[in-house]
Amino acid sequence: MKRRRVAITGLGLVSPYGGDLADFFGRLCAGQSAVGHLQTDDAPRPLSMPFVSCTAFDPDIALGKPLAGMMDRFAQLGMAAAFDAWNDAGLPRQVGQGMRNDWGVAWGTALGGTLTYEKGYRELWQKYRERLSPLTVVLGMNNGASAHMSIQFGLGGVSMTHTVACASSAIAIGEAFRRVRSGEATVMLTGGSDVPQTYGVARAWEALRVMAPGDAESSPSACRPFSRNRNGLVLGEGGAALVLEDWAHAVARGARIHGEIIGYGTTCDHSHLVRPEAAGQIRAIELTLADAGLAASDIDYVNAHGTATPEGDPVEISALKAVFGNNANRLAVSSTKSMHGHMLGASAAIEAIITVLALRDRAIPPTAHLDALDPECSGVDHVTALRSAQPLRAALSNSFAFGGSNAVLAFRTLSQ
Amino acid sequence: MESIDLIREFLKNRLGAEPEKVVSGALLAELGVDSLMMLELMFEFEDRFGIKLPRDLKTPRTVGEIATLMNGLIARSKS
Repeated sequence: MKRRRVAITGLGLVSPYGGDLADFFGRLCAGQSAVGHLQTDDAPRPLSMPFVSCTAFDPDIALGKPLAGMMDRFAQLGMAAAFDAWNDAGLPRQVGQGMRNDWGVAWGTALGGTLTYEKGYRELWQKYRERLSPLTVVLGMNNGASAHMSIQFGLGGVSMTHTVACASSAIAIGEAFRRVRSGEATVMLTGGSDVPQTYGVARAWEALRVMAPGDAESSPSACRPFSRNRNGLVLGEGGAALVLEDWAHAVARGARIHGEIIGYGTTCDHSHLVRPEAAGQIRAIELTLADAGLAASDIDYVNAHGTATPEGDPVEISALKAVFGNNANRLAVSSTKSMHGHMLGASAAIEAIITVLALRDRAIPPTAHLDALDPECSGVDHVTALRSAQPLRAALSNSFAFGGSNAVLAFRTLSQ
Repeated sequence: MESIDLIREFLKNRLGAEPEKVVSGALLAELGVDSLMMLELMFEFEDRFGIKLPRDLKTPRTVGEIATLMNGLIARSKS
């Protein structure tokens, strides 16, 4: 089958800094953390944890009241990011009937509408109400975001949602990429969104003992991937979207192309629910390189999964060392989660955007707060401060999920 | 509360509809009320007035029709 090139023509997100995409990337490059401190008034014990919130996001303003009212917050964040990406791609919101029957959406979310369901439980068990709003089902369903996107943009092709924990949107982007490359779809909207501040969800993550502690003062530097004194991940809410487009279609309509997505590989460790294994990650990276037709030596930057858990970070570095061999110590690696946190199903999408911007703007954002490298994480070229004017050719974005699912995406610059 | 007030308040809160446009002859569809929003409005009505709507209710088309329907149900529940 003839393979089509796949252009990235739209990028959009709800920035935790409150500004636009350029502002978001500028702040990451400057090493500025978006991590704040979440303090709720929940009973019996309020949440108090480092967290990334999109506090400036007003769904009624971003989406309009009627649309916002039909969505859980995860779908609101996703829809706002999708509008942003669609505008960035220069595509009209709606066209004539049937014009986009081979256009689709592949979305990622780990939690879907759990916030809506939790609200329902509160109504039933705390307020002793006997019934729930009839909108609960359509707000809560995991494919709420993708369904709304298909409606808003008149997408008549596939509309699907991937739930693969922390790799949800990496797999969504990869599956979208394959559909455009094969010619099944002309345009695919993709990305992910999640809202982990649901009381029950946040408490469950705490119970797993993988969350970094922190108060109002220490939260901004609570997430310290690869650092000797790292002590866990920081959750956050977010939404990020990309428009993937048949290259010839993008060129014909004079679209601005940010970059090219050229490879995707996904594997499963098939060994343990939460303990990552290098072997599965190595296979995913090698599959991606082969899919992209690249050698390891063609890669100039890796946006790491790097969540800052004691267990996860060294495994990822050992996988990179195994794949990149003698070149590993010259391989630029950073984990931007140090600044934007772990947005679960939105993480891989936001990191894909960062990787595309790094290639486009020849600038590698750093791993923040990496003053003391853990010797167990050594052996690659850790980027600890912005590197600008870099001659970057191609880059990878890693996502390694609970459940053992690994997904890696490969991108390259336009000049290739 | 009169049922028309509840309808106005609901449509303002949910859809941002201007209360002065919510008049007897206005079509619900043109105000943005689809079948899902109608279910939600019925749900809110039942809640506020402590009434259970019959399942075989004919779907109202205008603000006037839904107000009449609600007023009738309220009156019946009080008698």
